[in-house]
Amino acid sequence: MGLLALGTALDWPEAKKRADQVRKWGIEQLLANWHRAKGKERNALLWGDEVEYLVVAVDDESKKARLSLAQADILKSLAEDEASWKEGTSPLSQNKEHEGEEPPHFHPEFGRFMLEATPGKPWGIDFKDLLKVESNMKWRREVAKAHMAPNESPITLTTFPRLGTKDDYIQPYYPPSGPALRSQFVPDEIANPHIRFPTLAANIRSRRGRKIELNVPVYKDSNTPDPFLDPTVDYDLHNWPEDDDVRNGAAKEGHVYMDAMAFGMGSCCLQITFQAKNMTEGRKLYDQLSPLGPILLALTAATPIYKGFLVDTDVRWNQISGAVDDRTREELGELPLKNDRWRIPKSRYASNSTYISQDPRLRKEYLDPDLIVDQDIKKRLMDDGMDDLLATHFAHLFIRDPLVIFSEDLEELDLNKADHFENLQSTNWQHMRFKPPPPDKDDIGWRVEFRSMEIQMTDFENAAFSIFIVLVTRAILSFDLNFYIPIQRTTENMETAHLRNAVLEQKFYFRKDPFSRRRPNQQSPGGSNVSSTTSSAHNTPPPSPPLSPVESEYDLMTISDIINGSPDGSFPGLIPLVESYLNSVNVDVETRCSLASYLDLIRKRANGTLWTGAKWIREFVASHPGYKHDSAVSEEICYDLVKAVDEMTVKEGKHGTVGWELLRGKKN
Amino acid sequence: MKLILSSSNIMISGETIIRHPTEKSNVELINSLRTNFQAAQHAADPSSDRPPYTTWTKQGDNALYIPATDFAHGLSEERSQYDITVKLFYLPGIPASRRCAHTREAIDLVLKELHVDSIDLLIVSFPGILFDADDDSDEEVSSDNGSEEPDDFDSMIQTWRTLEGLQEQGMISQLGVAEFGSERLARFLPHTKVKPSVDQINLKDCCVVPKSLILYAKQEHIQLLTHNDCMDILPVGTTRDLLGPGEKGAGILASSPDAPDGIQGDIEPQWVVKYTAVVKDRGVVENKGYFALADVGSCVKRS
Repeated sequence: MGLLALGTALDWPEAKKRADQVRKWGIEQLLANWHRAKGKERNALLWGDEVEYLVVAVDDESKKARLSLAQADILKSLAEDEASWKEGTSPLSQNKEHEGEEPPHFHPEFGRFMLEATPGKPWGIDFKDLLKVESNMKWRREVAKAHMAPNESPITLTTFPRLGTKDDYIQPYYPPSGPALRSQFVPDEIANPHIRFPTLAANIRSRRGRKIELNVPVYKDSNTPDPFLDPTVDYDLHNWPEDDDVRNGAAKEGHVYMDAMAFGMGSCCLQITFQAKNMTEGRKLYDQLSPLGPILLALTAATPIYKGFLVDTDVRWNQISGAVDDRTREELGELPLKNDRWRIPKSRYASNSTYISQDPRLRKEYLDPDLIVDQDIKKRLMDDGMDDLLATHFAHLFIRDPLVIFSEDLEELDLNKADHFENLQSTNWQHMRFKPPPPDKDDIGWRVEFRSMEIQMTDFENAAFSIFIVLVTRAILSFDLNFYIPIQRTTENMETAHLRNAVLEQKFYFRKDPFSRRRPNQQSPGGSNVSSTTSSAHNTPPPSPPLSPVESEYDLMTISDIINGSPDGSFPGLIPLVESYLNSVNVDVETRCSLASYLDLIRKRANGTLWTGAKWIREFVASHPGYKHDSAVSEEICYDLVKAVDEMTVKEGKHGTVGWELLRGKKN
Repeated sequence: MKLILSSSNIMISGETIIRHPTEKSNVELINSLRTNFQAAQHAADPSSDRPPYTTWTKQGDNALYIPATDFAHGLSEERSQYDITVKLFYLPGIPASRRCAHTREAIDLVLKELHVDSIDLLIVSFPGILFDADDDSDEEVSSDNGSEEPDDFDSMIQTWRTLEGLQEQGMISQLGVAEFGSERLARFLPHTKVKPSVDQINLKDCCVVPKSLILYAKQEHIQLLTHNDCMDILPVGTTRDLLGPGEKGAGILASSPDAPDGIQGDIEPQWVVKYTAVVKDRGVVENKGYFALADVGSCVKRS
């Protein structure tokens, strides 16, 4: 979650006055950094995964599962242990299986019930490294668990099923309706107490002019009341002006209503960051991975419950999007523009809206015609030599206001830092992120982050999806694949991915032919652009036949077609592409067999042989004796679900144990 | 006359190498050659379906290069950035006595194509060895027409001497074999000066690797690698189809040895070589391709 500098955080009215200064300084830092780093070359592939956990405490006596707000204590104990680790006195460093491996890193997250863990050092492309990912993830879970109370566990559910209900779903218990979140469902204490987080939540609410507003359609089961009016909403609360929101219709009929950042930013994700060889390759990966975002979102779907109700969507994405949506009524288009500069079609957390690669295959028709750009910033960037595409990208990110400003940071502009740039960059939560090298770390190159995937319940699955994406990037670069579609189609796909069981029942826009037509004897794809980072965006391309209409380049496909290939062979499929890649490199037998089991999971998720996490959770609830088919997920069901998930992380569905339907597909 | 067939870099015409489950596993070689021929034909004369082969091939030193190649493009970065693996398929029915010359010939072409002076790993595939994961006893099978002797052990040792020589000269860093089971390895190793560092096996159904092989390989520091190449990678009939006058052919060879519709004579594929150049610390396959050499003429057949 970025750097957690300390200081005096400005309230929104003050922060707003300094927004222009932060943006200007951020752009100057970006330019300084870009000039320094644009020529960086030959960085190795390094990559890292980020796994996020909920800390859940179970109370076996009263059969209750609660979120534990123990983040700070756990992190403190982890930090102490890391120190003793280095001296070799920690019992955890004696674990022979991980001898020689760097201890994992743990980080705070927005939710005080969350933890994030990353490998101790980034992975490479040595195929033996890929074999370490799963065991390292398991190790991280063990280490985390060892620093928790005996009844607590790190659980990789995307959301806690009963976050925001009326009962005591957190421990220690705090009543809702605090000054920062002003939520009627969750207390301020739900958020990490570091000043950054409450300020972020408060300033989003303040800028927006009301609380955030999440309405997720309820899943209508046979006994679900019709019309469904969220029974947990309190219409008679009068603590804060924002309590009027619900009286003004914020809670929609037929929906589960939520009103705080914690409902979104309290979700766990699986994010992968890659280091590219140079800026050119980074820009290419950013573009080519973008159309895969919604596909992997649907394939990893794991979020069918909110606030104690089964909902009719399968993924977390739009809830996070809404949870940090700081747009004003003017920006949303609900009021005529008077004080604000633009109508803005998307939240700060949304699918991305730009392509940035200087690629002759990037047709202007793929770009978003309605992209909002700060023209002054774009001009500043281009005047200093940045090309149109990249300048457009950053000038688009910089239409937002900085949300958390520390007054101490506004005294002097330091061009050797990136704090102001990161202020904007890291609060644009798009599904792809293009990351310049940090100015103070010479050994780090240009990076791309793939952010759409949902966390999976087991480390086997999390390793499988992480490694799959890594292999897809290698196939993209080796075969010079072309997945371009108009970027608005990706935005639409993102919506489609939300629908219940979208993985099997929906179709997604995808490019029909991923291969680049090129004459043989042309320069190879891998490294022909060694020093092109400074060349112009518009190299004269060789004369080529007229292009067909953009609409004819893509089609609606099922996830199975996209992943496994279409039955008629017209689309090759991502897995066959990855296998072709693997057949072109030297892979040892043991590694290939592990990779085969990972690819098999992805293949079978896509064709429906294996269930998604969302489907499994739905079935778990539906078949629970305590479920009344009224969409309500009771404390008892939640308790049993958490216990089952915890068991699954260990037994992984082997021999018919819990979760076999999503991990093995057969009982034995 | 020698025919030197080349695929060029197949990574940039990717679709030829995606194999559908129903297809034979030499489809990558055949398709990539065909695609490269078609591209060369088109470049020679975009208006004609099939320009005369003399316009897009190149003759020299009693060899016909199909298509013409100028070896103009090497690798884009310096040599040290790459892992270059070459796999040489000695074909069934070709006398082992030719392998010394064949090996030189094949490696020279690869070095010329990639603009390098050494390769990191050479894996040789002897004809007629079939690795059987199920019972751990690799058996020797005769090839399609069943007319020749199984490759005998002495000739393998003989061939290995040649490879050891090339390794000594610094042209090859490491040597490897393909489809050797543990018994064959155990028989083979005592006769080698330079041990194979790799044994490449075809795992049709992944993960059924005989324990004995795993243990033996580990003990001898031999890396077990996987591949999915097929045994008889370039049969005579396929070669004639590929180069003949038929609809999918290149219009070079006659439809049968004495037909008047192309170059006459028997065709005899001699060897196939596959090369891959992978950028080491990025895992990107920058260049991958094939050369194949076939003799055509009236007296190519072994008496």
